[in-house]
Amino acid sequence: MASGANANMNAVRETMDVLLEISRLLNTGLDMESLSICVRLCEQGINPEALSSVIKELRKASDSLKASENSTT
Amino acid sequence: DNSITELLGALCDCSIHGVSWKRRALGGLSKEGARKALKKRAYGALLSGLFRPGASRGPASGPAATAPPRNRVLMVSFDLRVAGCREEAERLEELLGALPEGGSADAVLELLVHLAGSAAPPPASF
Repeated sequence: MASGANANMNAVRETMDVLLEISRLLNTGLDMESLSICVRLCEQGINPEALSSVIKELRKASDSLKASENSTT
Repeated sequence: DNSITELLGALCDCSIHGVSWKRRALGGLSKEGARKALKKRAYGALLSGLFRPGASRGPASGPAATAPPRNRVLMVSFDLRVAGCREEAERLEELLGALPEGGSADAVLELLVHLAGSAAPPPASF
């Protein structure tokens, strides 16, 4: 029973590693933490294209936050 | 913590990681305020697709836009070969073969294809 759970955990980890490397090769800018959140959102049925819009929007917002931070220094 | 609301909140937190909040607080913008504003933008982006005519097809058109995500990754791989990045193309195809078929893996792959090339290129090393 426990070995079945371990095998399942290993499979999940391997899939995450593969997805992370594909993500790097495609230059998506997602780190492991963001990618694992995205995987869980996709599992919840969120449309991948809509999710890509969310990520791009969040990047724009955080870029402008960081830019204004730099201009005040 | 697997509800969509909590996961979107976590995604917002990831995107403001590294911002200095001590200095921000002096300017009147708290971390909580920024988080709220980010969440509003995230939901705006997520929901806008629902009300845009033809949103289910997405902004791109043509056969490439409607191809299954695996085929689109193979198209990227082809582009990499044409650009002279043979090793990266081969690795991409190898990884694609190692990915389980169907389920959420294909949905994540589609997300990655939509985000392909959206990050700043890595700094050149000498």
